Amino acid sequence: MNRQLAHLSDEALVLLAARSEQSALAELYDRYGRTAYGLALRVVRDPALAEDVVQDAFLAVWRSAPTFVPERGKASTWILTLVHRRAVDVVRREQRRRADSLERAPEPVAEGVVEDAWLRLQRERVQSALRRLPDAQREALELAYYGGFSQSELAERLGQPLGTIKSRMFAGLSRMRELLGDPGTEMSWTSTT
Amino acid sequence: MDLHDLTAAYALDALDASEAEAYERHLAQCEQCRARLAELGEPVAALAFGSVAPAPPPRLRTAILEAAAAERSNVVPLRRRRWAVRAGALAAAAAACVVVGLAVSLTQSNGKRLVSAVVVLRPNGNATLRVGGLTAAPSGKTYEVWVIPAGGRPRPAGLFAGGAATVRLRGTVPQHGVVAVTLERAGGVSSPTTSPVVSAQT
Repeated sequence: MNRQLAHLSDEALVLLAARSEQSALAELYDRYGRTAYGLALRVVRDPALAEDVVQDAFLAVWRSAPTFVPERGKASTWILTLVHRRAVDVVRREQRRRADSLERAPEPVAEGVVEDAWLRLQRERVQSALRRLPDAQREALELAYYGGFSQSELAERLGQPLGTIKSRMFAGLSRMRELLGDPGTEMSWTSTT
Repeated sequence: MDLHDLTAAYALDALDASEAEAYERHLAQCEQCRARLAELGEPVAALAFGSVAPAPPPRLRTAILEAAAAERSNVVPLRRRRWAVRAGALAAAAAACVVVGLAVSLTQSNGKRLVSAVVVLRPNGNATLRVGGLTAAPSGKTYEVWVIPAGGRPRPAGLFAGGAATVRLRGTVPQHGVVAVTLERAGGVSSPTTSPVVSAQT
């Protein structure tokens, strides 16, 4: 694997990708491809569809790299947003299958999966923050983000007014932001090489 | 419907298509929502790390890189596509001069800026390129500056050795063109042979 660009920040890699540097796209994939695939798989629940989603998202990174504005947010956030949006589009197109399988498809378990130490750390950190949320907020965030449900679908499914769903999502994300922002738990990419 | 309330749902991709469109139109005009959305973007992206991620099959990496290569060279001929890329832009007015392009600002993880370049355009069309942070050209090589009018061919506009340099550009620089820098053999060449290390729109 070519890790010549390993010392560059994500944002610098996106600038290089904007100038058609393929090795920069490869490096971004090496940093976030696995997380992207795990996310896509959890949302769409089908390995072949998850691959399509990730490929589509990284090609969007390649195509729209010249429009990336570092001042508006981190490159990793931008990339994972592209992945998530595509995964949700796919799962909404596959409505019937999802309704059928949601209850039976458990969250993937770590067993048998060889995890990078850094990825494991991030996962534990996010899961522990989620556990500290009130149940109703955690449920709203998980069903929306991992389940791909729209706010109206959530309101219907949970038998709550739309306004309640909106405030749960907002309160949940705000609290997550505080919990993850705690000193000592700052999330940042660290070279593993 | 109060559009301000949709920020969290939008950040989570939990709006349907028509709601998302309405919110995006609102976002274009509401600074408060843009700021809030930027704040919520981080915890949302963190959720992406909350799942166990099995390794994707190696063919996925290959497929992405091959598709990217095919796509970029399909859009327009590779050289022209590369020239058209803009890595960043800064518009500022200073006295009689206009700073028209901040070309590239690469940062390392330690925050150190690697390369910066600014084109200063005078009202009469004369221009200066200020570059900082480029490594010195290897022996037998030189940096060459190019002025490319919109839709035209690159025209040689000056040579320099690297480091921090201010180069007065030969000829005039048109608006809506591109100023670019490549590494070429000593003495310069009449048309570029490598891809730009720096390029800026004017």
